[in-house]
Amino acid sequence: MALVPNMPQVWRQETKPHKFCPGCGHGLVLKTLGECIDELGIQDRVIFGCDIGCSLLSYDFFNVDTVQTHHGRTTPVLTGIKRARPDRICIAYMGDGGGYAIGSQHLVNAASRNEKITVLLANNCNYGMTGGQMAPTTLPGMKTETSPYGRDVEQTGNPTQGPEMVAAITPENAYVARGTIANLRQLKRMIKKALETQINGVGFSFVEALSACPTNWRTNAKDTWHFVEKEMTQYFKVGEKKVPPEKEEQ
Amino acid sequence: MAVPAFKYVQKDCTKANFTLFTSICKGCGLCMEKCPVKCLEWSNELGVYGTPTVIPKDQDSCTGCGTCALVCPDCAITIERKKLK
Repeated sequence: MALVPNMPQVWRQETKPHKFCPGCGHGLVLKTLGECIDELGIQDRVIFGCDIGCSLLSYDFFNVDTVQTHHGRTTPVLTGIKRARPDRICIAYMGDGGGYAIGSQHLVNAASRNEKITVLLANNCNYGMTGGQMAPTTLPGMKTETSPYGRDVEQTGNPTQGPEMVAAITPENAYVARGTIANLRQLKRMIKKALETQINGVGFSFVEALSACPTNWRTNAKDTWHFVEKEMTQYFKVGEKKVPPEKEEQ
Repeated sequence: MAVPAFKYVQKDCTKANFTLFTSICKGCGLCMEKCPVKCLEWSNELGVYGTPTVIPKDQDSCTGCGTCALVCPDCAITIERKKLK
């Protein structure tokens, strides 16, 4: 019996090693998601949707039904699937470019309608797949391909605060949180709560995960952790932004 | 598709069995920075992208906490703790 890696059961082993860069945060977020799916035992009910950008490389990541769409439309596509098949668990997975820039209208409208789906968003401060251009979440003063002198807040504004925005427009029974790959146990609790919110049919659930992009940040492992733990958390505060009220016992 | 057999190297430490799957490890080095006792170093075994992989420096330094396995984006590290005698 050959020794097998300790992967989540829902991962497709024949497509590993996965297609993400060395040190990419997507692997950690999807590993945490896989562990949550395993523990909740919902593998045969999950429909996973991935967006354009680096997140589309997860199209063969899991042993679940997967759909890939473009430019933030994962949210409305999975909304349609959820309305047609309410017994399925729909997980929309996207990056910050797909969720906050080119596809923000879908996220905003799905949140304000309180659709019963889960949106998981990996925020790595730039557009990774196209070569590290400036995204809405780029930190002030951060150098990218299209802001070589650092992001100018006067011209391009401040980083988008996604969970705060979603928490402000959703009704009371939504679940909104921001986790980080530097604290994977906390991130796992958040994703699990988000999935439980959808399983119980309570409301919209949204989790943003602060992620890493060593290739486009041009950082080594030490600087990658420093950037995720120290610099990103100055602008993006980790924590639960909105928790559905506990059910009253009858 | 058949599940491929993953190549691996093992190191028998005092407190845990350290297994590294060289056909998955991409050599990102996130585990080296997160190790609380800094016991990992680059090894001579090459990973899937031709980069060095990691291995514990010596048998006694690894405490078997499992942080490296937790932060590995590729699940390339497996830690099996040994029972205390």
